Amino acid sequence: MFLKNHWYVAGYDHEITQRPLGRIILGQPVVFYRLQDGTPVALEDRCAHRHLPLSMGKLIGDSLQCHYHGLRYDRNGVCVRVPGQDLIPRSARVKSYPVVERYRWLWIWMGDPAVADPDKIPDYHWFADPNWGAKGEYLHVEANWQLIVDNLLDLTHLAFVHETTIGNAALVDQAMVKVQRSHDSVTVTRWIIDAPAPPTFVKAGRFTANVDRWQVIDFAPPAFLRLDVGATPTGTGAPQGKRVDGIEMWNLNAITPETESTSHYFWGQAHNWDVENPSTTDMLIEQIRTAFLEDVAVFEAQQRNLELIPNPPQTDINADSGVIAARRILDRLHQEEKAAAKMVAAE
Amino acid sequence: MKFHVELVWKHGDEREVSSIFLTPDGRIILQGRAVPREQREALSLPLEGDMVSVDRDLIQAIKDML
Repeated sequence: MFLKNHWYVAGYDHEITQRPLGRIILGQPVVFYRLQDGTPVALEDRCAHRHLPLSMGKLIGDSLQCHYHGLRYDRNGVCVRVPGQDLIPRSARVKSYPVVERYRWLWIWMGDPAVADPDKIPDYHWFADPNWGAKGEYLHVEANWQLIVDNLLDLTHLAFVHETTIGNAALVDQAMVKVQRSHDSVTVTRWIIDAPAPPTFVKAGRFTANVDRWQVIDFAPPAFLRLDVGATPTGTGAPQGKRVDGIEMWNLNAITPETESTSHYFWGQAHNWDVENPSTTDMLIEQIRTAFLEDVAVFEAQQRNLELIPNPPQTDINADSGVIAARRILDRLHQEEKAAAKMVAAE
Repeated sequence: MKFHVELVWKHGDEREVSSIFLTPDGRIILQGRAVPREQREALSLPLEGDMVSVDRDLIQAIKDML
């Protein structure tokens, strides 16, 4: 089941061109393309006539022509031409979806268009901010989206899944983790005070002594996770909010359900040093991609087990507190959406 | 130092209520203020044992986070 009345990332802006792109979002086939003036459009990817994906067709001017029998649709999904007849049946139309281009992503609203408010798009300004070096990536994951959300809210798996890349045992044995829950967000924070900087931090921040490090994970429903990571020289006030002479990175994640068992995983990395040097960005992306592929192997193995044994009982441990808090928010939002749909149906 | 988790319920952007601590030995420890003898007498509360006064919002945190 999916939360529909939310914005989701549908793709990178450069993916949307005048060549139609088909993508499944929340279990629905959607076709994306651009009008001649560059405006992005999203329509149901199914001809109203014989159901061929419209993404197999082509644009004629600003109309999307079906590859099968040549029916043409406008940007609103209304059929504007049927070859061989003047009368266009009123039923010849497909759904259109609100879309917004922001932060180099194309965002789509799959729910009630009347409540699609672009102000509710979460902040990912780092991708478009000249004060940051940033780059985005995409992974197709053969697993339910919530498994990815769980993973990103959990710091302790780093010691095991990423044992040979970015993890260490101290993350589990000696960590103090703070989980802050508000009505619609969860923040998981961990500080490491007065400790040696890891080699990658020394290289990037040119630290010569111990540092104060932070890892702050921010979750916003349904599946937006922004990880604020960095270090400053010890005692310069970072825990009090004063970040000077240090380095900061944001690991930016937006997960869009494709189906119940597959996900579009949009992620990227931003850094505040050497911002105009693409090789620094590429080096960070490369390191993180290696770690993320270790995670993907975990998600996909979990998914295979969950398909063999649906809804098995599971055990929670202290380290799951952030995950549990996020799931509670999602459960509440599901209930609210269900109740709202019931009311609409009753009317 | 051992692994522990601090749970905090946050109201809006500013107000944080007192915390719940999950400790590695399996205990759940609540943050609050001890209730002194004179208050217990004034409020007709039992005088024996330790008592702690907690923020009302901590109950919300317990309901939503445990």
